[in-house]
Amino acid sequence: MTVEPRKEETVYSDRLKRAAHMLFFKRGKIPGARTWELRTGLGKGFQKTLSDLDDVLKDLDLEVKRVEVQSLGETQASLEGEEDYRYFVRLKGTLTPKEARMSGWRIDNLAAMAACFGLIVSKQGKCERKELEELVAHKAGRWRTLTLVDTFLRTGYLEEDEEGLVKLGWRTRAEVDLQALMMLLAESKPEAEPVGVEEEADQAAI
Amino acid sequence: MKRGSSRTSVKKDLEEIVQTCNSIENRQFSPFLLDVSEALRILRLHAGDLNRLEDHLLDMRAITGIARVVGLQSSQLRFQSTSLFLDPELAKQKLEGLSRQQLAEFFLLSWHPVTELEQLVMPAVKEASEYWKKMLSFFERRGKFDLGQFDSPGTFGLGDLGSSGMMEDQSFTERLQGLWNELKSRAKSGEGVEYWSFVRSQDFRETVSRAQLVSFLVSYGYANMDKNGDRIVLTPNETPVLQTEGSPHSFPIPIPWEKAPA
Repeated sequence: MTVEPRKEETVYSDRLKRAAHMLFFKRGKIPGARTWELRTGLGKGFQKTLSDLDDVLKDLDLEVKRVEVQSLGETQASLEGEEDYRYFVRLKGTLTPKEARMSGWRIDNLAAMAACFGLIVSKQGKCERKELEELVAHKAGRWRTLTLVDTFLRTGYLEEDEEGLVKLGWRTRAEVDLQALMMLLAESKPEAEPVGVEEEADQAAI
Repeated sequence: MKRGSSRTSVKKDLEEIVQTCNSIENRQFSPFLLDVSEALRILRLHAGDLNRLEDHLLDMRAITGIARVVGLQSSQLRFQSTSLFLDPELAKQKLEGLSRQQLAEFFLLSWHPVTELEQLVMPAVKEASEYWKKMLSFFERRGKFDLGQFDSPGTFGLGDLGSSGMMEDQSFTERLQGLWNELKSRAKSGEGVEYWSFVRSQDFRETVSRAQLVSFLVSYGYANMDKNGDRIVLTPNETPVLQTEGSPHSFPIPIPWEKAPA
């Protein structure tokens, strides 16, 4: 008689599940959860729980990312001297162009986004909207540029202050590794625009 | 150099400092454009000539402006010491020189999208519940439009979808390729084809569709468009020729109703 080996079931603690719920499900305008929310929901040792969650998510190519609340443009809600962060769950690796297109972003839009971030970062985080639009229009055309910049503002990748200066938005702080992007831009060598009916027509059809 | 101490000159000097500081704050100039010690020397020089309240206010604005510029200089130095630093002009040049494909690839290599799942919250559930309660029944709403008896369900095939315009018979690429071939065959003698004679079709909808496809042929370098007076001529290229120099131009061509065949 052979004995079938028992399947080992992984048991996750309630705290771990609660942490996953808090970080995955969006409750307000911005996804993720803040330090005080996590402390209320998970207790004092929430950082240990988040570290455990990070370990679990690692296998799925996801990670728990911590971003300073002030850099996201949110108001500080913690006690004086206490650090305030917002925690997100984000992709640990990167997307391929095909995957990015399937998630609804055109290659043109991603290129425009890279150009915007590159210029804003090189100008220490703020840039005039007109200058930004001129740069994007060079690649995407004048009409599409207006829509694109508005889209980036609406989705939280960019923010515009009362003086009309454009800066990086909360989503960029949470999602984009600016250091890597600037490094790639600095090391880049320009190449001619590829000519391909398949790709271009595909772009036009989206 | 000794500066004139008349009130006008004091006001002019202070206003210049305030204006320069404001321009720097608005990112029009580099923060290092302002010589802080020189600006402070000017303020000190005029300190004894400030008699009226508005002069003192202007002096205060100048000092605050200089302080803010010093703050910007400090943050720029801190910024330059990190690897995020790239000279703005150099960055602009690089960005303009890179292809869209390269830029998109760089972005994808540094992009880690955040996961976010929408969920129902109590206020939304309450709102939805109220809406559901207040909503009239389907039959009551339908009754208002006087639509008569229900039709029994029927089938809707791919052919129907195509004829109703909900689905394309051919892919965009195939249609573009087909039109390019047609243009090449009609321009066999080496001369171009008159735009309207090529675009005009049996019905207006088809004319608009062909005009749209022609715009793609021209944008992607499959054909050239030349304007000779009122005449617009299309010349096909054997292989796509993309213009990489200069900025692209838009050339709107209105399609009047009279261009539709009678």
